[in-house]
Amino acid sequence: MRIYFRELKANFKSLLIYCGIVVFFVVVGFSKFSGYAENPEILQVLDAMPAAMLDSFNMNAFNLTTVVGFFGVMYAFMGLILGIAAVMWGSDIISKEERDKTVEFALTLPVKRSTLITAKTAAAFTNCLILALVTWGMNWVVAGNYNPDQEYYRFLTQGMTVLVLLQFIFLSIGVFLGSVMKQHKRAGSVAISILLGTYFLSVIAGLKEEWDFLKYLTPFKYFDPSLILHESRIEPVYLWISLGIIIVSLAGAYITYSRRDLYI
Amino acid sequence: MNIFFHEFKSYLKSAGIWSVAIFLIILIYFSAFNTIAVEAEDITRLMSSFPEELLIAFGMNNMNFGTLLGFFGAVFLFCQICLAIQASNYGFSMLSIEERELTADFLLPKPISRGKILTAKLLAAFLALTVTNLSVWVSSFFVINLVRDGRDYDTNALVMVLGTVVIFQLFFLAVGMVISLLMKRVRSVIPLSMALAFGMYILNIFGNMLGENTFEVISPFTQFDPNYIINNGSYNYPLAMISVSVILIAIPASYLLYQKRNVASAV
Repeated sequence: MRIYFRELKANFKSLLIYCGIVVFFVVVGFSKFSGYAENPEILQVLDAMPAAMLDSFNMNAFNLTTVVGFFGVMYAFMGLILGIAAVMWGSDIISKEERDKTVEFALTLPVKRSTLITAKTAAAFTNCLILALVTWGMNWVVAGNYNPDQEYYRFLTQGMTVLVLLQFIFLSIGVFLGSVMKQHKRAGSVAISILLGTYFLSVIAGLKEEWDFLKYLTPFKYFDPSLILHESRIEPVYLWISLGIIIVSLAGAYITYSRRDLYI
Repeated sequence: MNIFFHEFKSYLKSAGIWSVAIFLIILIYFSAFNTIAVEAEDITRLMSSFPEELLIAFGMNNMNFGTLLGFFGAVFLFCQICLAIQASNYGFSMLSIEERELTADFLLPKPISRGKILTAKLLAAFLALTVTNLSVWVSSFFVINLVRDGRDYDTNALVMVLGTVVIFQLFFLAVGMVISLLMKRVRSVIPLSMALAFGMYILNIFGNMLGENTFEVISPFTQFDPNYIINNGSYNYPLAMISVSVILIAIPASYLLYQKRNVASAV
């Protein structure tokens, strides 16, 4: 328990910074939205765009002139920001002990290594939850200026719940990398490459029909916002893949970390 | 000279990986070009019937996926993200790594001035970035010629777009370096460089969504917008000057800051 609170405190500053970014992003985003709001001409332009291009920006299936549609487009960017935060926290929270040379101290405490991982993962997950809550709250408050209907609030809440799952996927990948990478310094850069790689994949997957199978490889494609909006569900197959990734990564982290040869 | 070679060697692997990544991005995107181009040609015709102001508001007035260069503009943006992350990574880590790994204790007692150390490191990082820069040039020409399929493109405009890379890289290198010197201690580099690169990228997206120039002009992504260069056949000089002056301020400032820096040591 102490490790948990200690980690929360240590990561508090980073959490504040990410919250600041999200707040800024939502406020600026919605200020841009005021140009779209209830502007039928823009809808005409969007209808004329090539489907592949709109797909790659996640812009089809949404009517940009309504709050709901605008949030649907912003959703992909929010997923990216929250994903970056999660994967960074996940990889950093394990590997920083070796980087800052505090691992000797942490591991001489009378706790098992697995307890350490549990506490650290829980702390990072708490941060992810707080960040998602802040994003949710900001979108709730800022959108209020545009008199959204009930549907928006439902979409927002369901969408953010799903983003928490996305965060948890990336968090567990980060924790896994932090425990597995032989060189602790590499963990962060590998984590980021995975995040960026999957993001590019999610963009590419929409470009060409033959590349459709790529969507199974990138968590960013697992949670289709238009499906959440229109049918308020996600494809069960993606849910299983997500759970699979989380379980495998976390199990891998526990197993490898308990026999890790630490760099001291 | 020793420092220079030592530094450059430590960058080689990373510069190679980034070069390959950028090559793959360009290649993969362009392999979808022929599918999209057919569709896009119809769209372009359709879009020309819309009022100009509306298209400007979307930043779509200068988007043309039907042509090789129009498509290249979209692909190049992704290359820019990679270049930005790489350059800011180097900038943030260049000097801070010595303090983090406690090797400053070894480096600074050597009979060389701090200015010389900084020069050697800066040149090495710049050379490593130039390796990636070259790869961007080669990959772009190679891939475009691979998929052009008899289509023509304006070589001049392509050269101009690629010419921005060097300033673009220097901007992130210099800004990263100066921030790392302003900080008391840089614990880890990647969160910082991600924040710098993605922050600038997101600023640019917002700028594109509605074309009013406010604070997004500080973003090199806006200053070196490939679509602008391709369509106008010239750089956006007033905006480009912002980057150049930032570089010209940041580098001398780094020398000053590094000379006076209270370097953390092991003991």
